[in-house]
Amino acid sequence: MNESPPKKNHRATRIRRRLLALFIDWLTWGYVAYGVMYFLNDYWWRIPLERFYTTLTLPPWGWPAAVLGTLAMAMICQVTGYSLGERALKLEMKEERPLNKEELLMGRAMGKPFWRTQWGVMAVFLLALTVALGWHIVKIDIEALLRPSRRAREMLGEIFPPDFRYFFASDPAFELRGLPYSILDLMMVTIFMALLATVLGAAVALPLSFFGARNIMGFSPAGWFVYGIVRGFFNVFRSIETMLWAVVFAIWIRWGSPLAGIMALTIHTVAALGKLYSEQVEGIDPGPVEAVVAAGGDRLEVIRYAVLPQVVPSFWAFTLYRWDINVRMSTVIALVGGGGIGDMLFYYKNEGQWALLGAVVATIVAVVWAMDYLSGRLRERIT
Amino acid sequence: MAEPYLVVEHLTKVYERGHVVALKDLSFEVQKGEFLVIIGLSGSGKSTLLRCINRLIEPTKGRIFIDGVEITKLSPRQMRKFRRKIGMIFQHFNLIKRATVMTNVLTGRLGYIPTWKTLFGIFPRNDRELALRNLERVGLLEKAYVRADELSGGQQQRVGIARALMQQPELLLADEPVSALDPATSHSVMQYIEQMNQEDGVTVLASLHFLSLARRYGTRIIALKDGELVFDGAPEEIDDQKFKEIYGEEAEEVEIR
Amino acid sequence: MPPKYPETYLREKPSWMAWERIADFLYFGFKTLGKRLSIALLDVGGIAILWILTSYVIIRLSTGEIGYALVPWWTFGIGVVEIAALWESFGRSFGHRVARLELRRGDGGDPALHQRFVHWLLWHVSVLPLVGLLPTPPLHERASGLALRPFTMEGRTPKPWWRTSTGLYVAWLLGISVVAAVSVTISWEDLVRLFTNAGSTAKFWRSFFSPDTSIIVKTVRALVVTVFMAMTATAFAVMVAVPLSFFAARNLMRGLIGRSIYTVIRVAMSIIRSIEPVVWAIFFLVWVRVELAPFAGVLALFVHSVSDLTKLYAERLESIDPGLIEAIAATGANRLQVLRYAVIPQIVNPYISFTLYRWDINIRMATVVGVVGGGGIGQDLFFYLKGNLWTQAGTVMLFIIALVWAIDYFSARLRAKLA
Repeated sequence: MNESPPKKNHRATRIRRRLLALFIDWLTWGYVAYGVMYFLNDYWWRIPLERFYTTLTLPPWGWPAAVLGTLAMAMICQVTGYSLGERALKLEMKEERPLNKEELLMGRAMGKPFWRTQWGVMAVFLLALTVALGWHIVKIDIEALLRPSRRAREMLGEIFPPDFRYFFASDPAFELRGLPYSILDLMMVTIFMALLATVLGAAVALPLSFFGARNIMGFSPAGWFVYGIVRGFFNVFRSIETMLWAVVFAIWIRWGSPLAGIMALTIHTVAALGKLYSEQVEGIDPGPVEAVVAAGGDRLEVIRYAVLPQVVPSFWAFTLYRWDINVRMSTVIALVGGGGIGDMLFYYKNEGQWALLGAVVATIVAVVWAMDYLSGRLRERIT
Repeated sequence: MAEPYLVVEHLTKVYERGHVVALKDLSFEVQKGEFLVIIGLSGSGKSTLLRCINRLIEPTKGRIFIDGVEITKLSPRQMRKFRRKIGMIFQHFNLIKRATVMTNVLTGRLGYIPTWKTLFGIFPRNDRELALRNLERVGLLEKAYVRADELSGGQQQRVGIARALMQQPELLLADEPVSALDPATSHSVMQYIEQMNQEDGVTVLASLHFLSLARRYGTRIIALKDGELVFDGAPEEIDDQKFKEIYGEEAEEVEIR
Repeated sequence: MPPKYPETYLREKPSWMAWERIADFLYFGFKTLGKRLSIALLDVGGIAILWILTSYVIIRLSTGEIGYALVPWWTFGIGVVEIAALWESFGRSFGHRVARLELRRGDGGDPALHQRFVHWLLWHVSVLPLVGLLPTPPLHERASGLALRPFTMEGRTPKPWWRTSTGLYVAWLLGISVVAAVSVTISWEDLVRLFTNAGSTAKFWRSFFSPDTSIIVKTVRALVVTVFMAMTATAFAVMVAVPLSFFAARNLMRGLIGRSIYTVIRVAMSIIRSIEPVVWAIFFLVWVRVELAPFAGVLALFVHSVSDLTKLYAERLESIDPGLIEAIAATGANRLQVLRYAVIPQIVNPYISFTLYRWDINIRMATVVGVVGGGGIGQDLFFYLKGNLWTQAGTVMLFIIALVWAIDYFSARLRAKLA
């Protein structure tokens, strides 16, 4: 049931796909070259890996050689067998033949097992290379994991049982802007931050999402333009992490202000929810839309009576899901100046007060877990 | 009369600690080579009955004999062995959608092949030959290496039949085999089942929605209503009166050709 | 044909002393108890939250301090329970609404006032000590002649939300929450700065257009470390999460032992998941030596990924099509074969898709984990921010955004292909 590409661009598509496959192979070989260089550095000359790029200097002809060499390898791979790039794009090498029952019986049509094809060997090799590289780059050290440091043993000794002394009462040593806070107070602040961010974010994302839906905006140039702008906004702002936004707003407003955290969460919420909402709007059943249009409804009436009833349950579900995420994020956003319980968390961490830290973490776990459970149950109920 | 092939004695199935009764004290016998059609409304217990016969669902009470073996007494391991003799096809085909037709058909042999081999997807050569012969029989040889979800509904059900054929069954359970198909395709699928019944001598128990199909293919009909047996006899014995008894007062008979 | 069946069934099933009867009593008893109890808990809890929030706002707005109690705790306790009891007896409470039930007379009619009164009085005797909920129907419902019936709109006209108690409750809760939230998180000075102080971030935006080229090589190297941190953490997490997910799927774990394993794993995973990777990174930075910064970050991501992936995988396992399992079992296949031919084909693609998704998240998280010293690009970013090196910080952020965007794009494309 695969749709075949339109006949008109068949040739152009084929050439483009062929080039793309070559590019993928080129990239894989580039990656292999990188890996080889890495290990050469590490093992042959025993140069500490921190000084990698700075010590290994290629001669002037080295870079062109590397680029062309990897390209040549990619080409050789494409010619000699079913390469990884070809496999990824599912380019067929052989022309089709009528079915032969004898061949069927011999199992030839089943194809070789993947570990005997070129792409299979390459994939396994790349996987192994990645594991080896990863092992060295992130400095995996199982021994250090199994034998914790003295400080870790101290921490473990203190953290159980956690000290809930400052759950209701405020800790005299800890204050924010001259006000004393207990764990409970800050937890409320944290939950409220998430609440405001979710409400604000959803309120902004809801109208925007209709402008980011293909089927609502129509196919006129103006429609395309608005659609492109809104979708672009969603995509760009979504790929900037909440934490980075928090940095910006902490400079903008004030380090440690809950409002900075709220703004950061809100912006990310608008972008993330907007994308989810508009995808949902695009996926509606066109039947009711047709019915409303047939009854003489204009665009707003279509949205009100044909689109909204279909998307409201999933809008709620997405919003609850986002609320859940926002609660999690708001517990640590203080790290970059966003306010909330994280302030206390990182304060106790810096002071090395493990028992008190344990109480904060336990509270966070309880609250996040409860919110997770509640939002999960509600979502189940809605959809 | 010869020893019946399948005997169901006082079969009862209750769900939810006795508060939902799916089958109530059902008893009947089936001779070897019969084409028995089970009719009844949705929820009358047809599917439960079929699944009790190969113990995909454990009966609450009652005994079932197949070929003189009391299968309700078998241990799970013995039952798995015994199921090789019982083929089954389903309303929604239940194929591995992402696998090829060939793999789907070969799964019919799972009970005959050592486990470790099947885990790696290795099937003996003669099983593969058998699979191709069965695919040829249902007219799908060309599609052997096509993914199952690329086939139409009727073709998928024929793959299901081929899978059942791989078991070389003595008994075929067909759970509404044509309910998800359109009328024209229904007949072609039913004809393959009829062929199994007449040429291979497989005893068939099929549940069907349409009375006209039941009349056309069945040699005997039983009817269930709310888990009880309300009719047992030849197809032509069902008149208007009987029909209303089975399907309720408001029902009208629909022809399917 | 045998219509005699139900009588024989009842005759054979003996009287009070039979185990089945006792088991039935407990089974259905706990079912009613569970339902009534969760309704009561919802109502009592809901009112308690509303009460506390209202007091919170009153205290906050009148004194400017943070406090939760306007009245002594016992007044609060009795008040909350009493309001819940009244709500459940004289109206359709929040809990009823959630369970889609309503209070009706035994014959289906509207409850009379005296019946509601009896219901309210006996509610205390039967719900508060819990055992009153074991018999079916529970004591207070039996005595008042009322019963909880599935709610239906048949033969009625809807009321607008502001004339239903639940509608008013939810509106009040939402309104008071927003008031409380605004009053405690947003101060006037902050709001003024939000609208007047945007210029202070200009130094940041400027660096986006004139990045510091001297740190590019260093930044790219840190990016590579970040990508590999995410990759390694994901890879190891998959190895642990795939086998675990089979033990965390409700439909595969049957029986007492199976269910207990299921529960233990699910609870442990949700606790681990509740702690953000940043907090895990703090923990692991103490655990392993500080020089091993990327390793500590990987461990943090790994732990969080395992719990998240196990949940995602297990949920996927729980929603597989049982028809295929039936079909394969019907051929006489054993358990391993059913797993291989009925379960695995259904989960391979979703598993890969979830893994990609998690890798994508891990890259984002890896940048954040670096901020507490977990290695990779986040560490650089934090260093520059601490030193007020805005140009460099902006450059690093530019790289992070580009990386996250690219990974996000490719993983979305791949996942769309897999679906």
